[in-house]
Amino acid sequence: MITESYEFFAPTSVDEALSLLARHGDDAKVLAGGMTLVPIMTLGLTQPAAVVSLNHLSGLDQVQEETDSVAIGARATHHTLETHATVSSHFPLLSEAASSIGDPQIRHRGTLGGSLAHADPAADYPPVMLALGARFVLRSRSGERVVAAGDFFVDLLTTALRADELLTEIRIPKLEPGTGTAATKLHRVEGSFGIVTAAATISGCGRRGKLAVGGVAPIPVLIDLDSHLVEGPSEAAHATIASEVWERSADASPDLTASVEYKRSMARVMARRVIDHAVERAGAKGGQS
Amino acid sequence: MTDVVKYLVSFEVNGESHRRDVDPRLLLVDMLRDDLRLTGTHVGCSTGNCGACTVVLDGKTVKSCCVLAADVEGSRILTIEGMSEGPDQLHPVQEAFVENHGLQCGYCTPGMVLSARQLLESNPSPSEEEIRRGIAGNLCRCTGYVFIVKSIQAAAEATTTDKRPSAEGAEPNP
Repeated sequence: MITESYEFFAPTSVDEALSLLARHGDDAKVLAGGMTLVPIMTLGLTQPAAVVSLNHLSGLDQVQEETDSVAIGARATHHTLETHATVSSHFPLLSEAASSIGDPQIRHRGTLGGSLAHADPAADYPPVMLALGARFVLRSRSGERVVAAGDFFVDLLTTALRADELLTEIRIPKLEPGTGTAATKLHRVEGSFGIVTAAATISGCGRRGKLAVGGVAPIPVLIDLDSHLVEGPSEAAHATIASEVWERSADASPDLTASVEYKRSMARVMARRVIDHAVERAGAKGGQS
Repeated sequence: MTDVVKYLVSFEVNGESHRRDVDPRLLLVDMLRDDLRLTGTHVGCSTGNCGACTVVLDGKTVKSCCVLAADVEGSRILTIEGMSEGPDQLHPVQEAFVENHGLQCGYCTPGMVLSARQLLESNPSPSEEEIRRGIAGNLCRCTGYVFIVKSIQAAAEATTTDKRPSAEGAEPNP
C-alpha cells in the first residue's frame, strides 16, 4: 500500500508527456515498467507529487536497425531485448544482460529506459552501454539532445536527465566485424541484484577493447583496454588490467551482501571472465564461436 | 487523506469488463483482491520479490504488486480464477500440480501455476533448467521446488501428448 497521495497521469503521446514533465518538474516521477519505482513508493522511499506513466504512449518500444547503428526505444522491455533477433545478432551481450535481470515477470514489464534512468550503480545495463559506446536521446519541450553513455551517468542514482527531459531512445553503433562481446555479473542467486557487473568488447584480433565494470563505484567504471592489449590478451595483459580494475574500484561501497574488499577482488575476477569470453567470441585466440 | 484525485480506468479481468474510479495509490493486486474479491491472487512481499501476486497482463505474467491499478487502462488481465475453462474444470497445469503434490501450503501456488502456464505457452517441452528459470520469479518456502518442477514436467507431457491446441493456438508437437 502506498500511503502518500499523488496525481496520476497517463499521457498518450510523447509531446503530452513532455508537457507534463515541464509543468511538474522535480515533483514528478516518470513511471515506465515500475519494477523499481512502484516498490520504492510502497516502501515510502520516494514520495512524488505526480506520477507520469509512459505505459499508454504509442511507440518508444521498437528496435530499429539503421545503417550504422541500432535504435532502441526507451520503453523496450528486458523481455524484448532478451528475445529480439536484431539485438541478439548485433549485441549478444545486451541480450545476455537483459536475460539475467530479475525473473520472467520483471523482464516482461521492466524497461531499458527505466533501468538506465534509475542509474543504480550495480544495474545490468550501464556497463553494457559504456562498453558499446551507446548514445542516449533526451527530449524535452525545448528540443532534443544526444548524450554519450559515459556522460549520462553522473553520480549514484543521478543522470544527466533534467527534470523536464525524457530518455526516449538508445542508439548503439554497430560493432566492427570480428568483435567479440560478453556481459556477466556476480550475484547470489538467480534473480537477485548484481553485486558486481561487467561487460566487454574485444576487436582487432584481440588487440583492442573496452571493459566496463558496475557495482564498484557510484557510476560504472570504463576502462580502455587498447593500451593493455598491445600484445594481445596475454597473462601480462590480464595482470595490468586487474591492477587498473583494483585501483579504479577504490570508491566501492559496502552493502548487505559484500564488503569493499570483496567487491574489488571480485571485480578483477569478473573482468577477467568477461574479457576471456569476449576474446573467445571474437575468435582472437584462433577459435570461433 | 484529502484531495485524492481519482483516476478512471476500464479493463477486463477473466473476460469480464470493469470500469473503476481508482485512487492512484491503489496497487493492481489490492484492486483485484479487495475490490473485485478475486482473492486467489496473493500478497506476499508487496515489493516484487515473491511472485505470489503474479497475474497475466496483456498476455504476459507480471507481479501485480508492482503495477498501479490506475495504469491498467485498456488491459486484459487473467487471474488464477479465470485460468480453467469452467468452474468445475482444472487447467492441465493445475491438474498436474494436484496429481504430483506440487503444493503444500498453497500460498505461492496461484503465481506458480500462472508462471508455469506462461512458460509452457512459449516452450511446450522445457528442460528442467528452463523450468527452474521459468519459475525463478516465484518463491516457495515449503516444497523445495522438486515436486513443483515435477508437476510442470508432467503438465508439459500431458499437453504435448494431448494434441490439444495450446492457449496461443499453436499446433502442439507431434
